[in-house]
Amino acid sequence: MTTISGNDVRRVVLACEAGMGSSVLLVTQLRDRLAGQNVEVVHSPVSRIPPDADVIVVHKGLEATARKVAPEKVVVSFNMFLGDPAFDRVVEAIKQGKPLEG
Amino acid sequence: MSMAVPAPAGTTGWRARVQRFGGFLAAMVIPNIGAFLAWGLITAFFIPTGWIPNEDLAQLVGPMIFFLLPILIGYTGGYLVHGQRGAVVGAIATAGVAIGGFIGTEIGGEVVQTPMFLGAMIAGPLGGWLIKQFDGRVAGRIPTGFEMLVGTFSAGILGAILAILSYWGIGPVVAVVSNAAGDAVEFLVDNTLLPLASIIVEPAKVLFLNNAINHGVLAPLGVAEAAEEGQSILFMIETNPGPGLGLLGAYWLFGPRSIRPSAPGAIIIHFFGGIHEIYFPYVLMNPILIVAMIAGGMSAVLTFVVTGAGLVSTPSPGSIFAYLAVTPKGEHFGVLAGVAVGAIVTFLVATVILKATVREVEPVLDAAVATERVPA
Repeated sequence: MTTISGNDVRRVVLACEAGMGSSVLLVTQLRDRLAGQNVEVVHSPVSRIPPDADVIVVHKGLEATARKVAPEKVVVSFNMFLGDPAFDRVVEAIKQGKPLEG
Repeated sequence: MSMAVPAPAGTTGWRARVQRFGGFLAAMVIPNIGAFLAWGLITAFFIPTGWIPNEDLAQLVGPMIFFLLPILIGYTGGYLVHGQRGAVVGAIATAGVAIGGFIGTEIGGEVVQTPMFLGAMIAGPLGGWLIKQFDGRVAGRIPTGFEMLVGTFSAGILGAILAILSYWGIGPVVAVVSNAAGDAVEFLVDNTLLPLASIIVEPAKVLFLNNAINHGVLAPLGVAEAAEEGQSILFMIETNPGPGLGLLGAYWLFGPRSIRPSAPGAIIIHFFGGIHEIYFPYVLMNPILIVAMIAGGMSAVLTFVVTGAGLVSTPSPGSIFAYLAVTPKGEHFGVLAGVAVGAIVTFLVATVILKATVREVEPVLDAAVATERVPA
């Protein structure tokens, strides 16, 4: 379990298995919600999460893999691709500079 | 622990491992899917039974499947292991396998040609790994000014050796394995046993092993079959968007009220956008629904078997549009019937299950929300 302050988040990585399907869909959504926040939102295959990621957002089913690949990072997992509270948690933490655990 | 959450990390170490391995296989294939589609379109249009048969352009089909596609996979496999240098050596090694597959291997007194997709998945990463070992050994020991010379000659010499070894060694072995796997699939199809595959494929799919199964196993076998027969049913086992559509439809009409509004958007992303991952959580939040997925998947595959349907290339992403693009001329009935049957059967079974269990589902969802607030 790691914590990061929302103020320190510069790069959010959405990870899915291939890094080309569902993660791309989520990038578009999250990017819109974080517009104007000086935060980069990118997508990646879960097995090759870039080392400069601050927060990793991944589906519960891939959470174990994500934690293994990036053990030092904040990993936020979600259940639903649309309207999951996990996304609200990330957006809120970044917008209000609150700590984000995961 | 509520069932809405897929089993925790500790119990699913095997899954993470399979996922990583499968993810690696898929990562070799998925970036090159555009080339598969190009090949599929050229095949669908110009082969003798295509939309606008053209003998001249049909000549593109063979070399593209025997050379372009495997070498792209091998190149990408090498790249994943060791960047650009890995990619080059991986591609050279793959060329050895691919050319061997084109020339053919004698199996049971018959020369069998094999499009070397499995061979590429071995030779590409192997080439990348070997040059990585070499680079690691000589790092810091090359006299100044000789870096480029050493770099070029090491890749060239290792590549040449690997191309020969792949041509002689890996190719024939893979040809025999591919041929045996092809015979096994043929046996399953001939005896109408192929629908049983759904019992494994559908649960594995919602555990996010979808790409591993399709791109790692089914598609390479399908491509080999398509090269011989012009089409393959194997492309449709995992990719059929019908059952997911049926499931989301059932949720839309009969799911828990709090979930219903998200279903239409998910249907569009799943059925038209081809991102099947969007429906997996709807199964995982009420795992008994896997029965509906298996029922729909089996019925769909049975429909494909009975109508003799197949696709010319892998429909990826698994969108209805990708299906239409790679359906051979005159086969639309069987293909669309299978998609429709899959959707209807899953919808009906899921509806029954949702109606019976929907009260149990609500608290489970609350639990799922709660776990988000209290980090697990």
